[in-house]
Amino acid sequence: MKTKKYNTDKFFDEYINKNNTSRKNFKDSFNFFKALSNNKKKLLSNIRDSIIRSMGVTFRVYDNNRLIDREWPLDLVPRIIIKKEWNEVKDGLIQRIKAINFFIHDVYHKQEFLNQNPVLKSLILDSPNFLKECKGVVPKNKIWANISGTDLIKDHRGNFYVLEDNLRVPSGVAYMLENRNVMKKVVTDLFNKYQVSPIDDYTSQLYKCLSDASYSKDKLKTIVILSPGIFNSAYFEHAYLAQQMGIDLVESSDLILSKDNYVYIKTISGRKKVDVIYRRVNDDYLDPNVWVKDSTLGLPGIINSWKEKKVAIVNAPGSGVADDKAVYAFVPKMIEFYLNEKPKLKQVKTYLCAFEKDMKYVLSNISKLVLKPVNESGGYGILIGPKASKKELDEYKAKIIDNPRNFVAQPLIKLSTSPSMINTSIEPRHIDLRPFILSGNNIFVTNGGLTRVALTKGSTIVNSSQGGGSKDTWIIH
Amino acid sequence: MLSSIAEKTYWLSRYIERIENTSRLINVNSDLLLDIPHDESDDLKHLIQITGHLKDFKKKNTKENVFFFLIQDEKNPSSIKYSIEMAKMNSRYLLTMLPKSAWEQFNNLYTDFISKNKSYNEDLYQIIRNSQRFFAIISDGMQRNDVFNFIKLGRFIERADMLSRIIEDQILRKENFVNKYYQNLQWSSVLKSINGFESFKTENKENLNQEIVLKFIVMEKLFPRSLKYCVDKLLEVQRFLPKSQKIRKYMSELLIEFSYDDLYKNDKKILKVLDDFQFGLIKLDKEINARFFN
Repeated sequence: MKTKKYNTDKFFDEYINKNNTSRKNFKDSFNFFKALSNNKKKLLSNIRDSIIRSMGVTFRVYDNNRLIDREWPLDLVPRIIIKKEWNEVKDGLIQRIKAINFFIHDVYHKQEFLNQNPVLKSLILDSPNFLKECKGVVPKNKIWANISGTDLIKDHRGNFYVLEDNLRVPSGVAYMLENRNVMKKVVTDLFNKYQVSPIDDYTSQLYKCLSDASYSKDKLKTIVILSPGIFNSAYFEHAYLAQQMGIDLVESSDLILSKDNYVYIKTISGRKKVDVIYRRVNDDYLDPNVWVKDSTLGLPGIINSWKEKKVAIVNAPGSGVADDKAVYAFVPKMIEFYLNEKPKLKQVKTYLCAFEKDMKYVLSNISKLVLKPVNESGGYGILIGPKASKKELDEYKAKIIDNPRNFVAQPLIKLSTSPSMINTSIEPRHIDLRPFILSGNNIFVTNGGLTRVALTKGSTIVNSSQGGGSKDTWIIH
Repeated sequence: MLSSIAEKTYWLSRYIERIENTSRLINVNSDLLLDIPHDESDDLKHLIQITGHLKDFKKKNTKENVFFFLIQDEKNPSSIKYSIEMAKMNSRYLLTMLPKSAWEQFNNLYTDFISKNKSYNEDLYQIIRNSQRFFAIISDGMQRNDVFNFIKLGRFIERADMLSRIIEDQILRKENFVNKYYQNLQWSSVLKSINGFESFKTENKENLNQEIVLKFIVMEKLFPRSLKYCVDKLLEVQRFLPKSQKIRKYMSELLIEFSYDDLYKNDKKILKVLDDFQFGLIKLDKEINARFFN
């Protein structure tokens, strides 16, 4: 079908090719939305909103110092990926997380890889994410990052690239699951036209992954999710996952450490020993005896319990050392070093200002690059060179010169677009994708993941805290 | 079950029951006003008296102000708005604990109330409907687990508390109604406020006066809004609570004093006994707190 108004510009569009026709397999979905009358579009949006409201799918934000539950923004046009393409990505993700886990273990033990890469070594040893308390600890199966979420983007040619590896407490999976539930109810007819790979076994896979991490020999493990509490923006997700797995959602005040370093929860029938803690609290808040002293989100002394293998903590403390933009640049090398394989997934060329050569390149090409501080997440502190003013660039240059090790730069990738429903019109919007990877006795990758979409025209900021939305991701045969 | 979750469940349930009871109370009293010659404002102020926050009511004594204070004033800890916000606060922790449909229903209750702009009457009927649906989902579809037990515990303690306050208040303000005819109207309005008028009539066709109504509301074990029924339900839950002998003892003691027949003829005595009953509930609440929540 020829499409008139839909303008893909110079980006790669997931649905529409350069000749302005629907790609094979995407036609049904595109036509479905194109054919909807404005009234029908409004109706479907209303149904979607009321389902999301009554299911209570929210994320929390502060507005004028008040805690507000915002309804989760879901765009009804699905993001579609062909199974064959996805299987290749999946293999790449598995390869990547294997290498990363080898790397973290190595960092806290022999440091073989670091010794071959002295610049990285010096960066790591100075990094706040490198926790010396974790040296010598052997988590179950030597897996540190049991649960990870990897951000993927497509460039202007339609190739997948890894943008970053989230190895601390990646969020979004509950929204991925609920998006699917909403879509099944709202666009049932369209759903029926495709054979969409199911995603709803995620929580049983997660349970298995957590159970695999336990040191305990009990058949039935006591697993809890440790949340920073109801004020956390991802609390809905913490609660949702606990419910779906049938386990307790706890806060630090529910936990007690016994004199012999076992962790217990307080229940109405007394104390109960905990085997695995799926913590959604950052490393530095976990144990106020060791890290942030006034943290009320953690449990004083818990690190000893973990070191003595009396409780498993998932992800392991210290795994954040690999969630760093400087480490990212070395992942292809790691894959070769630890697995003796060629990287299956592309990743974005990254200039480390810690290298003098790279810094020189960055300073003289700054207006073409995206600049990022190494230890930030959530899109903070990023400067997009081509869009920045001269003043902004000069200020950033000064920051780089002042502390080169703190910055990396990447060429600007033209993010792919997907048709999205903006009020009653169908327009291209930039998207990315976050699949979730579980590493236990086996490695599991979600079928697809959470597609995030920048709802503002031309914007590439997909974070929900900054006006981003989401899409259901369909892996189809 | 986590202690912290037990506590939040208990309070969620108490607040929802409180919201419903307060709505019933306001509803029926505003109906009654239409029937009785009265000084309107005085008749409404006693509603605040029931909730125990008369000293916080500082505005001019008009119907609008009293209703606002009881329904919308978030600074008044006995207002519906305050209770709904507290229920919401507790519910935030219970995403994992309530059946999904109950959770959805609570969200409906909350959003319906927040997006008001209707008349007070409509608001109140909606609250009652929504709260009934919430508890219906719990009673009908929920697994009989610890969460269920703590919901039941909170609900019937709250209900018993509110019932005893309503009776107490009606006895105290009896003198405002000079004519005996109006007194009976008063007691029939109390019955209506607790959905008990029809049940009462099937049991007592001929007379409707204070003594008989009081006996009914205190002791009628088949009527779900009697003190007796509430206490029976509490004893029923207690059997599922771990190590709760002391709690059982407190529960069993609640109604002992009510069993003297001549009690119901003597306002002074019954007021004293109602006081003791409320004190007994406080003692029970404290014990529950110490035993399960700390």
